[in-house]
Amino acid sequence: MWFEDIVLGETRDLGTHTFTEEEIIAFGKKYDPQPFHIDPEAAKTSMFGGLIASGWHTAAVWMKLSIESRKKEVAGGRNLARSGVSPGFEDMRWLKPVRPGMTLHYSATPFEKVDLKSRPELGLIKNLGEARDETGDVVFSFIGKGLVARKPKESSL
Amino acid sequence: MSGADTTLLHFEDFRPGQTFAFGRYEVTKEEIIDFAEQFDAQPHHLDEEAGRRSLLGGLAASGWHICAMAMRMFADGIILKSANRGGLGADECRWMKPVKPGDMLRMEVEVLETRAPKSLSGVGFVRFSCRIFNQREQVALLNMTPILARRGA
Repeated sequence: MWFEDIVLGETRDLGTHTFTEEEIIAFGKKYDPQPFHIDPEAAKTSMFGGLIASGWHTAAVWMKLSIESRKKEVAGGRNLARSGVSPGFEDMRWLKPVRPGMTLHYSATPFEKVDLKSRPELGLIKNLGEARDETGDVVFSFIGKGLVARKPKESSL
Repeated sequence: MSGADTTLLHFEDFRPGQTFAFGRYEVTKEEIIDFAEQFDAQPHHLDEEAGRRSLLGGLAASGWHICAMAMRMFADGIILKSANRGGLGADECRWMKPVKPGDMLRMEVEVLETRAPKSLSGVGFVRFSCRIFNQREQVALLNMTPILARRGA
């Protein structure tokens, strides 16, 4: 599958992840040691009223599920676009706190294709990445960018 | 001084154009692989040989790991010294160069914008631009907007 084959607006369901207190604290201690990410007692008196996951933890789980879902789809015989290098992302929003025991449902929806004059063999895909809680509210979103190979001109594929 | 809170930086302490420089984060092979095993299990983040065959030219950290390491430097440099009330988000991230084992990361930070919407009492938003360098060059850019308490709120 090439850049040209990607269908805009087609949402990939990436599956779910349930956040545990243990992993929230482990990630927080290593990368984001604010009291409300690492100390359940101190978190009670914070504006969140309890422990919450670092926004970067919520984001990293999007990547984890994206990779796992890709592996499952490839194993199931689906011809996916070659995973490319990403130049970055835009507009990441942490909309609601993510607490221990919450299960988030993650997804990715390609919504824009950008031609790259400097790299004619590649195209840029913009993806809306999201995580929703059990009530369906979006708790996390961002616009991911991926470089994907274009169909070679001489190819008969 | 009427309490520990007055020693913390508040919304009013930040102005557009202010700059900060800090950070010293040594990137290890073990940590690159450990992060990738948990969150980004692609061959170029797990295996030296696969990394050499990729565009990254060797084992390199996941971009999400770069964000996490940047957050740690930002936390140690500013957030843990501030009356922080959470984060709104990160409006831009650019992964510019591979981050590899042995790299020593540091950060240069500039305040881009401060705003305190009337609808929110007691807090304001400060948008920071964080440029992340290794020992040679800039490797990433990350804009983050924490929510900070206002003085006296």
